[in-house]
Amino acid sequence: MIISKQKEFKELLRMVKELDIFIIGCGKCAAKLHVGGEPEVLEMKNRLSSEGKNITGWAVLSTACSPGSWKEVLGQNPGIGKADALLVMSCGCGASVLSKLAEIEVYPALDTESLGGICSEELVKEQCRMCGECEIWLYGGICAHSQCAKSLLNGPCGGAVDGRCEVDELPCAWEGIYDRLKKLGKLEYLEFVHEPKDYSKKRGGIEIELQKKNILKKIHCDC
Amino acid sequence: MSFRKKISSRKFIVTAEISPPKGTDVRGMLKDAELIKDVVDAINITDNQRAVMRMSPMAACGILSHKGYETIMHLTCRDRNRIALQSELLGAWALEVHNILVMSGDHPVKGDHEAAKPVYDLDSVQLLGMIDGLNQGFDFSGHSLHGETDFCAGAVTNAELNEAAFAKLEKKIKAGARFIQTQAVFDTEKFTEFMDKIRGSDTFEEIKIIAGVIPLRSEKNADFLNRNIAGIRVPEDMISRMHKAKSPVFEGMEIASELIKELRLLCDGVHIMTIGTHEKTPGILEMAGIR
Repeated sequence: MIISKQKEFKELLRMVKELDIFIIGCGKCAAKLHVGGEPEVLEMKNRLSSEGKNITGWAVLSTACSPGSWKEVLGQNPGIGKADALLVMSCGCGASVLSKLAEIEVYPALDTESLGGICSEELVKEQCRMCGECEIWLYGGICAHSQCAKSLLNGPCGGAVDGRCEVDELPCAWEGIYDRLKKLGKLEYLEFVHEPKDYSKKRGGIEIELQKKNILKKIHCDC
Repeated sequence: MSFRKKISSRKFIVTAEISPPKGTDVRGMLKDAELIKDVVDAINITDNQRAVMRMSPMAACGILSHKGYETIMHLTCRDRNRIALQSELLGAWALEVHNILVMSGDHPVKGDHEAAKPVYDLDSVQLLGMIDGLNQGFDFSGHSLHGETDFCAGAVTNAELNEAAFAKLEKKIKAGARFIQTQAVFDTEKFTEFMDKIRGSDTFEEIKIIAGVIPLRSEKNADFLNRNIAGIRVPEDMISRMHKAKSPVFEGMEIASELIKELRLLCDGVHIMTIGTHEKTPGILEMAGIR
């Protein structure tokens, strides 16, 4: 899940100068976190209307980052054609993809923080930094790269006080890694020397694979 | 005798720490170096310590080397990616800076540029490995260098370590650290436990352990260290000595010299961190019977 939060309303008003606005929400992460689902889109509509904006319509796309055929979206939402700007209540990824498709100004209504999830009723942030070479199994399933404030791969720094991180006073990620490896009977993993991340791996090659299997086309039609 | 040779000998090592200026005026730094030059084996130059922006340690070490001082340049992983780290190291070697102390570095949120991007492209173990590569004449991508380095590299530690931190310290040695400088020690019993653990591990054979010493300035200063600096624990009895002292500064020097006397029997050297009051360092060492 991509974790986003709503921008301050004052900031939105400073950013969006256009009068005719269409609002797009996202039915996935933003809806789950109650920052870009239907109730939030309707609330945004009311607030913007009361500030004198003309809301030409609104929609909650099932997945803002993979909206399928933009032609169909336009067909189902004639209000987009009457608007001078889209206000997108999704993560930055959804807002960016829609910016590629729409021919009018696109404004993000949310600020995107991290890739996380909800676990036992708790919001867990920074679970993954999308490094392109997942090795969490070597750390008892806890990503040192994303959860340690300094992304330290070979062990803790000296900055934790009583097991609390110097940055945010959350428990030191390395305490968790140690406990988990101990529980799994894999404490010898602490002795591994981890090489620095290879950021060239983020450049990927997944596009070629997907094209070969015709998957991109299929996703486009399904959406 | 160079610092490298000294740590290969049985000599008890004394180092002290100086900060580069926050600005371009190096007169204060040179004055500090002058105050301690006759009593230390090398001068540590900090790298934007506590994430507070100051002059580059490479520039500061270069200036001091030019004037004949032996320096230990701190190098943190906080502000530079692998390209910048290597570039800095090559520059340092060319400026006759021969000793490097590697550390992760305090996070930017602790300093005066909270909004800065934390880099941490490498960690301290990986940085030590990189220095080892430069010493062998290769950069981190395996390309040959025109002129290699021959750094004497060291690492840092707290004296109270959990198992994961101890495993990391061992990795630092295996990656090439030849000496260890510790966070300030106040509790020699705990430090004895640490040294027992070190001496009990084959990894640390030949590795010099240099214990940190901070002369307390006041009771408030002791409280500040306890509250704000990770890895430092000033015991109650010392705080109460500082509280009762007629001259807290002198009492702090007295405590530091007592600690040095004890540490002399436990480890291979001391690293004095007087934080801006370097005129006290020679006196403390004299009180401890070292110089």
